[in-house]
Amino acid sequence: MTDSALSQLLGLAIGTALVCAYVVLWRSRLISIVRAIAVQGAAVAVVALTLGLHEHSVEPVAAAVGVFALKAVIIPMLLARWIRQSEELREVDPLINIPASLLAGGLLTLFVYATARQVANLGSDSASRAVPAAIAIVMLGLLVMTIRRKAVTQVAGFLLLENGIALVAFLTTSGLPLLIELGGALDLLLVVLVLHVLAGRMVSAFGATDLNQLQELRD
Amino acid sequence: MTVPAAVGALIQVTLVIAVAPILTGLMRATRAKLEGRAGPSVVQPWRDIRKLLHKERIKPEYSGWVFLLAPRVLLASGLMVVVLVPLITTATALGGSGDLFAVVYLVLLGTVFLVLAGLDPGTAFGGMGASRAITVAALAEPAFLLAIFALSVRAGSSSLATIVDSVLAEPRSLASPGSLLALAAVSVVVLAESGRLPVDNPSTHLELTMIHESMVLEYAGPDLAVVELASQVRLTIFLGLIANLFAPWGIAVTTHPADLAIGTGVVVAKLALLGVVIATFEVFVAKMRLFRVPELLTAAFILAFLAITMSFFLT
Amino acid sequence: MTVLASYLPLVPLLAGIATGLFGWRRSTALAAVVGSAGVTTGGVILGTIVVDRGAVIAAGGLVRVDALSAYLILIIGVASLISSAYAVGYIDTELRLGHTTPQGARLYGLLVQIFIACMLIAVSTDNIGVMWVAVEATTIATAFLVGHRRTRAAVEASWKYVVIASVGVSIAFLGIVLLYFASRHASVGAATLRWSQLLAMAGKLDPAVTRLAAGAVIIGFGTKAGLAPFHTWLPDAHSQAPAPVSALMSGVLLSVSFYVLARHKVVIDAVLGPAYMRNMLIAVGLLSLGVAASLLIAQRDYKRLLAYSSIEHMGLVAFGTAIGSPLAVAGALYHMLGHAIAKSVAFCASGEILFDSGTTRIADVRGLLKRRPALGTVFGLALLALLGIPPFSLFASEVAILRAAGAAHLELVMVLAAALLLVAFVSILQHGRQMLLGEPTGGHTDRRTPAIALTTLAIALGASAVLGVTLGPLDRLLTAASRVVAP
Repeated sequence: MTDSALSQLLGLAIGTALVCAYVVLWRSRLISIVRAIAVQGAAVAVVALTLGLHEHSVEPVAAAVGVFALKAVIIPMLLARWIRQSEELREVDPLINIPASLLAGGLLTLFVYATARQVANLGSDSASRAVPAAIAIVMLGLLVMTIRRKAVTQVAGFLLLENGIALVAFLTTSGLPLLIELGGALDLLLVVLVLHVLAGRMVSAFGATDLNQLQELRD
Repeated sequence: MTVPAAVGALIQVTLVIAVAPILTGLMRATRAKLEGRAGPSVVQPWRDIRKLLHKERIKPEYSGWVFLLAPRVLLASGLMVVVLVPLITTATALGGSGDLFAVVYLVLLGTVFLVLAGLDPGTAFGGMGASRAITVAALAEPAFLLAIFALSVRAGSSSLATIVDSVLAEPRSLASPGSLLALAAVSVVVLAESGRLPVDNPSTHLELTMIHESMVLEYAGPDLAVVELASQVRLTIFLGLIANLFAPWGIAVTTHPADLAIGTGVVVAKLALLGVVIATFEVFVAKMRLFRVPELLTAAFILAFLAITMSFFLT
Repeated sequence: MTVLASYLPLVPLLAGIATGLFGWRRSTALAAVVGSAGVTTGGVILGTIVVDRGAVIAAGGLVRVDALSAYLILIIGVASLISSAYAVGYIDTELRLGHTTPQGARLYGLLVQIFIACMLIAVSTDNIGVMWVAVEATTIATAFLVGHRRTRAAVEASWKYVVIASVGVSIAFLGIVLLYFASRHASVGAATLRWSQLLAMAGKLDPAVTRLAAGAVIIGFGTKAGLAPFHTWLPDAHSQAPAPVSALMSGVLLSVSFYVLARHKVVIDAVLGPAYMRNMLIAVGLLSLGVAASLLIAQRDYKRLLAYSSIEHMGLVAFGTAIGSPLAVAGALYHMLGHAIAKSVAFCASGEILFDSGTTRIADVRGLLKRRPALGTVFGLALLALLGIPPFSLFASEVAILRAAGAAHLELVMVLAAALLLVAFVSILQHGRQMLLGEPTGGHTDRRTPAIALTTLAIALGASAVLGVTLGPLDRLLTAASRVVAP
């Protein structure tokens, strides 16, 4: 693969991932959010695949297959089932309204671009230069977790964060050793499952997964 | 201005005026077909205009000169844009003056006059539509400008002809995230500005939902014909812009008659295709509740914003 | 010895599997106790070996047990011994009172042992990636333990815990990625996640990237270690978890997370010099002390009281580690051990108080010494131990840390820390006095604490007191362990 084709494909995949983060921020229908998360997972897999093919190494390609299976198929399917069962279809009461949160996301992205240059400067290849976009996705995930108040959207924010970090890992290092990737993937899956179970308990204890109701424990 | 360039511009103006109502007719016909209705013929809008032109001019009692001036400004600004943008040829009349920012502000000028015309007779619907239209315009305009800026960054110039030429020279740049995002943003803005679903429903007269229609409710006869034609011209310009900014192949780069002929044919085909696509899209979406329109337009703004950041950082 | 180092995590795991297979019975509960005793013994054996012969390396470099690891294994062993010995009677009572089902008890037995195994893996590996996976796994293992009671408060606590801890640990992962990135660019083919190799090539790591990594690591593992301002999950989770789990989480999970942070500090210090991490750790340490002190003053819930006391002690440990001199680090590690014992005892005793009074409100518990002399004495002594009253070992470690701060010319910070400690001291003393002294009020159950539980807690307190007077053979291990962090 030539360098320009590599940078083009990487740019496309990362652009897609970044847009998906904004879609999560923008949409209030939970199922659309889950779809965006799935597309983003696929974009992460494409990044890994591209880098693997470019460097002629097997590990990133194997990681790409795993990422695709986990982040683009298994977890989104889990979340979709979760939404169907819970009868909560919309994020009704975010902490700040959607246009404002979109603008906040835009500012956050700018801020990241302005500050994350030190990492990017270490490498001059197209992969390293895309790192700020990946870090922006991490920040957008944190933003979503802060302003959205439903269990599913919290998980969506967490997955954005995870995807962003996975992108940073692939872009800077072409992926960590496979053992760690595997452990991380297993942990991620288990966290999502645990949160699913806890959300079920939340529904039976509070009647919904509205985090604004979690007010009992404080000093 | 050279003579061939003037000829090119003239052809563009003639073509757009001729094609615009047919494009609207085509979209209506497509929609009717998909909904299983027989629907009017594609040239029905032309027949409507012809009929209206033969009617007597009627003006609301309390309206002023703005009401009479607005349709003319609307149509004139639209035709002015047609001279500027490369639809058939990049070697158009005003060459380097075909600036994207000029286009945006000419379009905005038309919108402003339409809004004033809606306010002028002092009717409830007109005022309501004007307020909604100006809200949409105020949100769409920044997004439009940003998206255009993103395209200019890539080409290094805000001249439309240069942008189109640069895409022709390097088609791969179209597949960059910046261009794709700009396309998405421009598409949303165009749907909003030309009063299509999901922002406005062009075929409704329900007072709760309409935007564009309520502003022109007081027009009748020849004035209505001009307003209708102007709106159709605007839609044609927008679609033509999208087609040539993001898929410029087939456009004439000279003023050679053969090239011009090919360019004409190609642009008509592109317009027809886009019209059918939009009409099909409109069958499947419902009109958005008005208070959600700002969300959509903010999203377009953010897309345009991302397009710029990516043009700078990701390439 | 490589076998012992590699397979030690299997010991609790086997005990857990036994509970998973056969359910919660007297025999499986005792198997857990035996397993914990085995871990403690393993820690002792590994400790004696690594002090004499240096680090044990096994499994192709994946496992590396040096003095610091052995010391942490010992802490894990001791705390889990206290916790599992106490849990025998605790879960039986929970079952009898209908707070849990046999199914819940089975899950409890399995998860606690997985939790312990994960902590053992975290401290005995050389690979910071594996450390990360293990720390994240502790979150998963403890999620359902925190939510064991399934009440609204328990659900709330476990949700907050999992979300905050997972996000924190994910950010730590970012730090690890950045370190890997730095190692990849240090020289060709040098990409590594092994702590010992990172330390060896520290001179070649890029400082800017390492600085970013340091920030991410402090946020990430600081969250799990309960350091302010990332501590918000801790009081909820520790107050809602069953008492033996609170004992483990407070006593060792915080220390294990801090251990991982300290490992990273060694590498980061080697790249950036000591000032960067020192300032960061002093900041979070003092902030933790401040948060804990201010929230202890008007605390109304005795389990939350203990939780905030954990934040206070972790702040002190962070402070000691930040100073970085061998004396300070030894003091911090010594503090970890003393805190693990005293806090485990205090939480276990608080579980008994909860059974006895049915409430966690301080105001509703009165005259404990008069009504339940044995339990009251144990709880009171545990509080005194936590307050750092001599002869308990926390006194010695606090003095060591503050003295080291003075020696390092951090007088101002030292005075501030001492003042905050004093506030916490007075608050805990005041609340403890209200609970223990005075006339008993209200109707209470006639439950008697099982002798085995009380004996365990008493022995642990005795050990804490002995450790406060003399370290004995532990001295050499502690010195060697502190040399790992403060070379």
